[in-house]
Amino acid sequence: MNSPLGVLESTGFTVAPVKAAPADQVEISVIVSARGMRDAMVELCDEFAMPLRHGELTFEFLFLLERGSAVADSLLQRAARGEPVRVLYAENTVSETLLLQSAAEYARGDILILLPPRRRIVASGLLALIERVRAGADMAVACRSRRQFKWTGRLRSRLFHYMLSRVGGGSLDDLACGVRAFRRELLETLPLYGELSAYLPILALREGFRVEQVFLPQHPKDPGAGFHGPPLYIRRMIDLLNLFFVLRFAEKPLRFFGLTGAVAVGGGGVLLVMLFVQRLGGQPMAPRPLLLVAVLLLILGIQSIALGLIGEVIVHLNAPRRRPYRLAGEALLPSRMQAVAGLDRSAQP
Amino acid sequence: MCVMPLTPTTRPVAVRSLLSIVVPLYNEESNVAPLIAAVQHALVELPAWELILVDDGSADCTASVAEAIAMEDRRVRLVRLARNYGQSAAMQAGFDQAAGGIVISMDGDLQNDPRDIPHLLTKLGEGYDLVAGYRADRKDPVITRKAPSWVANRVIRWTFSVPIRDTGCSLRAYRRELLDRLHLYSDLHRFIPIVAAVTTGARVTEVPVRHHLRRNGTSKYGLSRIGKVPVDLLMIRMIRSFRHRPLLMFAIGSLAAMFVSFSFAFAAFASSLEAPATSAVYVLPAAALLWLSLACYLLLLGFVGEVALREVGQGQRAASSILWEQRP
Repeated sequence: MNSPLGVLESTGFTVAPVKAAPADQVEISVIVSARGMRDAMVELCDEFAMPLRHGELTFEFLFLLERGSAVADSLLQRAARGEPVRVLYAENTVSETLLLQSAAEYARGDILILLPPRRRIVASGLLALIERVRAGADMAVACRSRRQFKWTGRLRSRLFHYMLSRVGGGSLDDLACGVRAFRRELLETLPLYGELSAYLPILALREGFRVEQVFLPQHPKDPGAGFHGPPLYIRRMIDLLNLFFVLRFAEKPLRFFGLTGAVAVGGGGVLLVMLFVQRLGGQPMAPRPLLLVAVLLLILGIQSIALGLIGEVIVHLNAPRRRPYRLAGEALLPSRMQAVAGLDRSAQP
Repeated sequence: MCVMPLTPTTRPVAVRSLLSIVVPLYNEESNVAPLIAAVQHALVELPAWELILVDDGSADCTASVAEAIAMEDRRVRLVRLARNYGQSAAMQAGFDQAAGGIVISMDGDLQNDPRDIPHLLTKLGEGYDLVAGYRADRKDPVITRKAPSWVANRVIRWTFSVPIRDTGCSLRAYRRELLDRLHLYSDLHRFIPIVAAVTTGARVTEVPVRHHLRRNGTSKYGLSRIGKVPVDLLMIRMIRSFRHRPLLMFAIGSLAAMFVSFSFAFAAFASSLEAPATSAVYVLPAAALLWLSLACYLLLLGFVGEVALREVGQGQRAASSILWEQRP
């Protein structure tokens, strides 16, 4: 994969005054995607690094910013002092998923933590998440217990998670929290693209990974579930639609397009038969607009089935290249790891 | 679905003299032990075999029962899938793990009888690549199983002209060379003999096999198959005819749509001469234009198919996946 990320600056891996750790001994990589953020990230970094220091963990913070971000300067000052802070930049047009996958290539830890740029949980919660992953979970997902939101926010959240559980299965309560800890292999194994990284726990559950939900205290500064405007809700609906299709029909597109096509062709066919019977009864068929509706339905149905057939061709052609299953406890093969990463992690700048 | 390519390390090197029996299992805890005992008993005279049990994400104790037996008998191997992927994926997992030059597949519900395996092997020795069992005296409910299966098998034989009367029977024998060319996904396990014959050119035949009533556990099949089978058949038919030339398929459809379009146009012309004041003057040309748009759309889709073939299909032209060596 050609990484869309550039390294603005990257210095030490040691945590002053914690004992220095070599690059290949970094345990935890905390990834903060903060493109478009204007808030100071240094305070967030200090706050969430504290429990990791106390836990005597070797860690690093990777901040993903856009080029020229004003936030970068203060972070780079920390990096220059030898603190475990690295700043990566990417263009705004790069999707969050590709950004995350690319950041994982730069990350040195075996456990990755996704931390939103806004505070969602108390900092000590990171230790609980790490503990779960170390205990055997493939992913630990933070869920804010007793969220202090307005009732409208809670209602929206419940509705969204109900729909999500219907579409993707599982029963996650707080996907919007966004704080997750997981094994690196998980990111390299799941078929991610576009904006699907937001639904990482759902996809991981579907692939049989062990995903645990950890209830953690909400951060006092958590802005909560405000009203974000129609575009965000439309995007969420489209995401759900995408998940619905990808999880159920990506391997058998003709099932989806064939069904919708059959319904349309059936509807058009019934109308045509009806018109034909009426024609036999003496009522002319040609001047009736219903004929257009019947033709339109037939055409839509044929188009849908044709699309499904193209999908099947693509799936069939791809079949020799992929495996339709994952063995229990299996991670990617070393050869695949190298192919995906395309680089030796220890040799990174 | 995991996007993980097969690499040489994922598939064991085939041992010609070894027989592999692949059995997908899903919630069959009460059938595992009797199944293994039946296989051990049936193959007592065979020199080398392995039994690969594929646990397809069972929610009961299937895996632990199988694992306990596998610890005692080294010929029995357990492969566990991360979740319930379905029978096609489970079967593919078993085929990928099988090291034998000849592979047998069978269900884990004890309705197939392992004593039929020697018959399959004898038939395979006559030069076939796949020998499918057909259940001569099937012990299943008529309405939910036998009747839909009877109709489906007739349709399949009529559509593909493959001499198999029971595609639903999982008891089959395959040569390794065939399995290396088969890539199961979706619900293709139901049509393996058909897919093998029409997409790889394998030599396929059948022999009668025993069939028993299910004694333990519950069936995983239902009437939902009825809607899926026709769609899958359409897919296989299309794959057989047009996987190397999608533009041809869509161009034929496009020509048909164009013909309908011209028919409507002609009717519109005739109608305008007869009664120029009626709404037929508007309806018929509009219908003609709609069909014309479909013709263009199908042609464009054909080009998309060709692009997909070019982009995805490149590098899949190994002679070993196309040609079969004629054995004396």
